[in-house]
Amino acid sequence: MNPTDLFLAVLQANKGIIYKIAHSYCQEAEDRKDLVQEIIVQLWRSFNSYTGEAKYSTWIYRIALNVAISFHRKRTRRKQVSNPLSEEILQLVDTNVKDDTSEDISLLQRFIAELRELDKAVMLLYLEEKSYREIGNIMGLSETNVATKIARIKGGLKQKFSSVKK
Amino acid sequence: MEDKELIHLWKSYDQKLEETLLLNRELATDITRIKVQRFMVSMKPVKIFAIFIGLCWVAFVDMLIVRLLHSASPFFLVSAGIQVLLTKLAIGIYIYQLILVQQVDIDGPVLAVQEKLSRLKSSTLWVARLLFLQLPVWTTFYLSEAGLLQAGTLLVLIQLLVTVAFTSLAVWLFFNIRYENRDKKWFRLIFGGREWDPIIRSMELLGQVRGYKVEE
Repeated sequence: MNPTDLFLAVLQANKGIIYKIAHSYCQEAEDRKDLVQEIIVQLWRSFNSYTGEAKYSTWIYRIALNVAISFHRKRTRRKQVSNPLSEEILQLVDTNVKDDTSEDISLLQRFIAELRELDKAVMLLYLEEKSYREIGNIMGLSETNVATKIARIKGGLKQKFSSVKK
Repeated sequence: MEDKELIHLWKSYDQKLEETLLLNRELATDITRIKVQRFMVSMKPVKIFAIFIGLCWVAFVDMLIVRLLHSASPFFLVSAGIQVLLTKLAIGIYIYQLILVQQVDIDGPVLAVQEKLSRLKSSTLWVARLLFLQLPVWTTFYLSEAGLLQAGTLLVLIQLLVTVAFTSLAVWLFFNIRYENRDKKWFRLIFGGREWDPIIRSMELLGQVRGYKVEE
């Protein structure tokens, strides 16, 4: 398999990670489209230096989170390199299916979007059921620090949920 | 809401994405190619150009100082010397930023990468501090001993007042242009433009990173 095909296969397998991170860090659809593109560019640029020491998903989380957090700083540059293509790389097929969890999911997304950049990253990894060790590895934190941060952020989220549900 | 409910909610979101999210393979390939090229072309020249202009200015002022060492007024030589020294420091910071950019591995741990990038952006504020520190020399470089002796007391007093005022302002700004003062009116006035927003946000993020490093 040539590098481009391998890269696209990795992208296909992990597209959900990119979408969720972009969705959590960018509320505007246009910005989100740009962020997805920026993440894919950075993944491609780093693909040759991927050593295989970490899992593809860990590698993608690190890059995608770093790009998303840095996104606001690259705004000017991003405009300069804006892509001429208007379509989206990641597209949601509209199924119009609403169930009883849809509202709660929207609430959870809203509360996550309101978190500060680093809290958001930790919470996303927690919700993805990454172990404390893996979260620590992606974030560059000790496991005990991860545990205390998660407890604090979770507490805040639960409080927000209960205040809305009352 | 319990922990399991949060995770369950996220899983159902994940499942919905799995069913509805499509990757446009063709665009992914095309866009990656386009942007890699454009990134290489568009990113660095801005800073390289700024350094080039700065170096040209420094070379010009250095040349003036050397050429006029024995003929120019001491006011000019000292003013130009201070100005060129501060400009060299500003260029040094700019180069420091470039080195940091080179060192940043975007696939590194989030905290380390963000700390590097935030420091990089925040250090731009140092350039502003140094530029303000140059203020007083722009009120002295044109002075000469003969001119001062010929000028009346009033003119000398005015000159002294202006220089002292500029010096005080420069020193005050040098020590007060910092993150803690970001909400002050004067700070917002100086750094109110959109071009400064990324730097202010970087400083805020740097604060977050430092907070995160502390074990709770």
